[in-house]
Amino acid sequence: MKAAIPLFSLSLAIFGFASLSARTPAVDSHAISFGRDIQPILSQHCYKCHGPDAAKAAAGLRLDSFAGATSQLGNGAGIVPGKPDASLIIQKVSNPNPNLRMPPPDSGVQALTAEQIDKLRTWISAGARYERHWSFVAPVMPAIPKVSNPAWAKNLVDRFVLAKLDEEGLKPEPEADKETLAMRASQTLTGLPPTTAELKAFEQDQRPGAYERYVDRLLASPAYGEHEARYWLDAVRYGDTHGLQLDNERAIYPYRDWVIGAFNEDLPFDKFVKWQVAGDLLPHPDTEQLIATGYVRMNLTSNEGGAIPEEFLARNTFDRVDTTSTALLGLTIGCAKCHDHKFDPIKQADYYGLYAYFDSTKDDPLDGNLTLPPPYIRASTKGQEAQMAAMDAQLNGWRNDVDPAVASTWLSQNHQSPPSSRDWQESPIYSSKTFDEAFDKAEPGEPGQPAATWKPFKFEPGKDAANLIGKDNSSIYVRGTIRVEKDRTIHLSVSSDDAVRLWLNGKLIHSHKINRGLSDAPDDVKADFRAGDNELIAKVINGAGPDGLNIRLVDANETRIDKALAAYKKAPTDAGTILELRSTYLEVGPNSANSSAYRRLLKKRTDFEAAIPMTLIAKEMDTPRPTFILKRGLYDQKGDAVERHIPAVLGKLPNGAPNNRLGLADWLTDPANPLVARVFVNRLWQQHFGTGIVKTVEDLGTQGEWPLNQPLLDYLAVSFVKNGWSVKKLNRLIVTSAAFRQGSQISSAKLAKDPENRFISRGPRFRLDAEVIRDKALAAGGLLVQRIGGHGFKPYQPDGLWEGSSDPASGTHIYVQDHGKEIYRRSLYMFWKRTSPPPVMVTFDAPLRDTCIVRRSVTNTPLQALALLNEPGLLEASRTMAARVIDSAKTEPLRLRSAYEIAMGHEPNSNETAILLKSLNRYENEYRSDETAAKKLLNVGEAPQSKTIDPAEQAAWMVVCSTIMNTNEFLTQH
Amino acid sequence: MDPIREAELLMTRRQLFGRSALGIGTAALSRLFALGGLGSLLEMASASGDKHGLPGFPNFAPKAKRVIFLFMSGGPSQLDLWDYKPKLNDLFNKDLPDNIRRGQRITTMTSGQTRFPIAPSHYSFKKYDNQDEGVWVSELLPHTASVVNELCVIRSMWTEQINHDPATTYLQTGSPLPGRPSMGAWLSYGLGSMNEDLPTYVVLESKVSSGKPNQPVYPRLWGTGFLPSQYQGVSLRSSGDPVLYLKDPNGMNRKTRREMLDDVAALNHNELSEFGDPEINARIAQYELAYRLQASVPDLMDLSKETPETMELYGKDSNEAGTFAANCLLARRMVQRGVRFVQIFHRGWDLHSNLTGDLPSQTRDVDQACAALIKDLKRTGMLEDTLVVWGGEFGRTVYCQGPLTRDNYGRDHHPRAFTVWMAGGGVKPGIAYGNTDDFGYNIVDKSGNIIDPSVESFTPGAVHIHDLNATILNQLGIDHTKLTYHYQGRDFRLTDVHGHVVKDLIS
Repeated sequence: MKAAIPLFSLSLAIFGFASLSARTPAVDSHAISFGRDIQPILSQHCYKCHGPDAAKAAAGLRLDSFAGATSQLGNGAGIVPGKPDASLIIQKVSNPNPNLRMPPPDSGVQALTAEQIDKLRTWISAGARYERHWSFVAPVMPAIPKVSNPAWAKNLVDRFVLAKLDEEGLKPEPEADKETLAMRASQTLTGLPPTTAELKAFEQDQRPGAYERYVDRLLASPAYGEHEARYWLDAVRYGDTHGLQLDNERAIYPYRDWVIGAFNEDLPFDKFVKWQVAGDLLPHPDTEQLIATGYVRMNLTSNEGGAIPEEFLARNTFDRVDTTSTALLGLTIGCAKCHDHKFDPIKQADYYGLYAYFDSTKDDPLDGNLTLPPPYIRASTKGQEAQMAAMDAQLNGWRNDVDPAVASTWLSQNHQSPPSSRDWQESPIYSSKTFDEAFDKAEPGEPGQPAATWKPFKFEPGKDAANLIGKDNSSIYVRGTIRVEKDRTIHLSVSSDDAVRLWLNGKLIHSHKINRGLSDAPDDVKADFRAGDNELIAKVINGAGPDGLNIRLVDANETRIDKALAAYKKAPTDAGTILELRSTYLEVGPNSANSSAYRRLLKKRTDFEAAIPMTLIAKEMDTPRPTFILKRGLYDQKGDAVERHIPAVLGKLPNGAPNNRLGLADWLTDPANPLVARVFVNRLWQQHFGTGIVKTVEDLGTQGEWPLNQPLLDYLAVSFVKNGWSVKKLNRLIVTSAAFRQGSQISSAKLAKDPENRFISRGPRFRLDAEVIRDKALAAGGLLVQRIGGHGFKPYQPDGLWEGSSDPASGTHIYVQDHGKEIYRRSLYMFWKRTSPPPVMVTFDAPLRDTCIVRRSVTNTPLQALALLNEPGLLEASRTMAARVIDSAKTEPLRLRSAYEIAMGHEPNSNETAILLKSLNRYENEYRSDETAAKKLLNVGEAPQSKTIDPAEQAAWMVVCSTIMNTNEFLTQH
Repeated sequence: MDPIREAELLMTRRQLFGRSALGIGTAALSRLFALGGLGSLLEMASASGDKHGLPGFPNFAPKAKRVIFLFMSGGPSQLDLWDYKPKLNDLFNKDLPDNIRRGQRITTMTSGQTRFPIAPSHYSFKKYDNQDEGVWVSELLPHTASVVNELCVIRSMWTEQINHDPATTYLQTGSPLPGRPSMGAWLSYGLGSMNEDLPTYVVLESKVSSGKPNQPVYPRLWGTGFLPSQYQGVSLRSSGDPVLYLKDPNGMNRKTRREMLDDVAALNHNELSEFGDPEINARIAQYELAYRLQASVPDLMDLSKETPETMELYGKDSNEAGTFAANCLLARRMVQRGVRFVQIFHRGWDLHSNLTGDLPSQTRDVDQACAALIKDLKRTGMLEDTLVVWGGEFGRTVYCQGPLTRDNYGRDHHPRAFTVWMAGGGVKPGIAYGNTDDFGYNIVDKSGNIIDPSVESFTPGAVHIHDLNATILNQLGIDHTKLTYHYQGRDFRLTDVHGHVVKDLIS
């Protein structure tokens, strides 16, 4: 880029122009707000070269602070308060010569408009007062505004909304009818239509406060937590896979279930945040607090061959910092990764100050392609923990009955020493054309084949032998002699790269055709050895790349006895040692009534625990890693060392807070934090109205939208904190407001004055999210299964989506659909493969969950129409809905009425009735003349077919039900 | 439609535009404003994204109207295909000199190796005449060699990314981290659609006959990142429905489908008259488009009307759906029908071992079809304004990974120099651009001095992936610094804050 023309190189032309422009500003100085009117001009047009990025301050001028803007530059000052004409900035931006004008023509930044220059002049005339950006100053409770019609207000939300409407000369819409409100409130709070019973209860409740009571019932339903969790899961980019390269499964769904539970129990939002960011650093964290730290682990990970750990450490940490800043702070500080932020007062050192809070966790930067890359815990509930404690108490009773001396004597007498091995040899390498052939073909050396030319081979059971073969699609045999004292069964633990076959004394005992690495899970092979020498032959088959073998001659029981005895000998009075000795004795010692009961309960307890899922958690390293500025964001370009710190402009850690993630969490949830509460209430407003009070919910910084109604935002934020950070109360406040209850029809006048409903001059109206659409269809079809939590399910999906996009070595390479009740669960439980998420969800704008998304796009595409028309799961719902409708009444008009009530929550109007009944008859005639077609149409989905309904009738109704599900109304919150 | 309503809707758009200074998506709204009456509002909806591009786009007269990007996923070996290094024959199994490697980082797959032995190419090269000094091509690419007169071969591509996922994401989106829009999404967003009933950005995945498609190619790579999701690539599948959920269910004939859609439209009109929400109009239009897609896509996929000569040109693989050859033929059919950006992925190029066992099968998959595509576009007069790009996310090392023999070897990832070729669309035909040292390791200038290219500035002779992307956009009439989207407080673009149009590559 060419150097910008220095600001102080004044030319004659400027002086000439300056005198010309010396006129009274056209803008009323009272109406000028620095943050709303001036800062956007400066940041859009000037900050690129004269902003917070100190390194780039062209001509030494910075316009992001009063001191910088007014400092003397040799030929004047950028801004001279009270004197626009003497201010270089005014002279420069209004220079008539485009080559000398600021911003320079080659800067890629647009010139200022006359109106913008007028605003600057007015502001400078009035003293050029700089104010801190609104969102960097903690909110205070605003004054309750006077409004035109106080009686309209149902709560304080309405006072703030109405004040804005008054200002804009708009009137609110009358309240929507009860049916509309029932559907609207249910969809916004639970993501589901109301059940028939719920709807009835609400309709029949004629006492005042019926709507509030209805809302309270919705907030108390478990579906509320599920729905509220979904928005959070977008923000934290929840997924069931690692998200990169192999994209294997990762175990973290207990975190998802914890989020649902937290919303249902109305866990205060400050605790909700604190546990997620730093639950592991709390004193004596309980299981729940640790599960919450799955938040920290949610970043995409990889173990791509060749990946460099330091590089991924930086990537992972960037991901965590960027998510935290967007999801909690509503700031986009990612720019400061490479240089000081150009617009917000965030320095590069500040970015790495935040980075330092997240780069010292214990998890390996590479995930090993494991389902459970450590650290992880068993995600037990309090109830489960109590049950296990009760079983432990009983087990301990039996343990305490064991005399250690008796146990040690018995174990010593019955202990067998480990087997020995010798004479290891290897065969030649046998090449094949394919892996299949290499695996199947018996070569010399295999029992039953001619003898091989054996060569001595250094092999030691328990140790990895790598690169035995060194060729693709090839095999080798390895044999050795193993000696045991008497007949016994030993469990061999066999690792191989890739496939392996084993013979013991000429008999094939194991065969595993697999493509894997030596560090992957080993095979457990039960082998019956006879007293004396035994011949063990292993065949290793390599598909491609590295190869190897490891055979461990373990005998878990004997190893355990060995260890227990040795420990007891060393420390006979140590409680832990005695406990282990007693346990060993009960488990592998002589049979008795006690030992049998003990073993039964122990198995029960083990099984019980094993059924509880594991989940990834965060743990902090004992000694933090030193953090450095990474120049240009490159992991191998280390700059100065940085200490953990909060960006100065946002405040500092509360007194006494430790300088680690816990301190960071304390700061985030400190009522003095200017952003966190505002960011969350703004997103909740977006949930209910479709658009945030600040539309850019992801950015409340200087580049974000200026709040359209800051008093409303601040009122919500302050009362949220005052109400103990209760998300339920906040939801209730918004949803019970008169503003939310308005009708959503758009008059032409309102369309002109408030096209996007930013002033809330009517009720909400926007397309429903992907999950709500599917769940609503399942509910209409009577198929929805409401079971909370658990492993993600796999619904119908077109063949080949995973197979076509995955590495063949990926654990999520092949899609195996679930069956039965599982596939009718709420969409939020769909198994989320981050490189290939459920197609219907993505078609309706669900994010991929690979980055933090707090505002989904809402599009309207033909692919959505195709999915709604033809996706088997949705068609199946229209089939079962048809059966419901037919069973509900005898006549067609009554059935249609029931169809509308099921799907829309109200009766059809006369137009709708006429349209659909006419078509219904046509469809029925058609399907009656072609019953095969009717049966084909009905043959969709796995839900049982009706045995009693006439196929032609059901097919006709199925088309009508599908029609209803394809209407704009069905897809729209209104 | 009622003219009063039409006027109301128009007024809405003006109002929206007037408010855009407050931070409403300015680009999208000015686009709305740029359109005429309600007819245009309906017309705006097309099979993917908006029919019209952004106002002011293209920024200047484009040389190319469309792009076919042949993505060789995994990193093809430039040393065995394009970058002829005869001196290596005498250096078999010698160590790579330190003054060539210069301490540069390597992947953890080979960083543990005690030696970096040189693996000369097993293949013979021949010099083919082009419109300049001629170009060496490996014996593995005889068909492609026959069209070198049309190719602009860039032997000096480079990237910073050394592993697949980041490098592929980088080339596709301009960032190694997920979350940014892909090139095709940017084009859909900026230029809009050129047709009524097909998507703007189509992705095809190809079968790999070696049976080792060992790199994932997933939807994120043709995703929209933070752009609205209607701009994402649509994957056309070779089995099942070519577009997801395209086919009507069994037991529903077209007449019933039509009647049903008429009912949906009638019910939506009913809602519109009651609630006055203009979005309902858009929904109605999208359902009509869906109906049209149900006819246009099967017609596109039906190769039966292609002549035997054409099928022969692409080779016998073209009779089998999903092969690279069939996909190239489909690409030609698509660009004829106004699809703007077709991207064909072919996997399996990641040859860490057994390179001579697998590379011939890889090149057999693509060689004839690449040449056929060029010839076919040429004879239909479309090569002139269709840009074809061939290449992968990085190259491969001169040193061997794993066991080395004269006959077989493996190569690790090499980001510092690799080969990409372009053809048509206003790029210089019949040239080779850029050079590497005798080891194919570093990019060198004309006198053979090593260039240490930097992403910060352009060094003639070295083409960064941002430069390639800037040049592709340039051919489409787009100033890569102007195609931006404001998100999270910043104007993002495909080339991040880098990229230079490489003037030497274009006519």
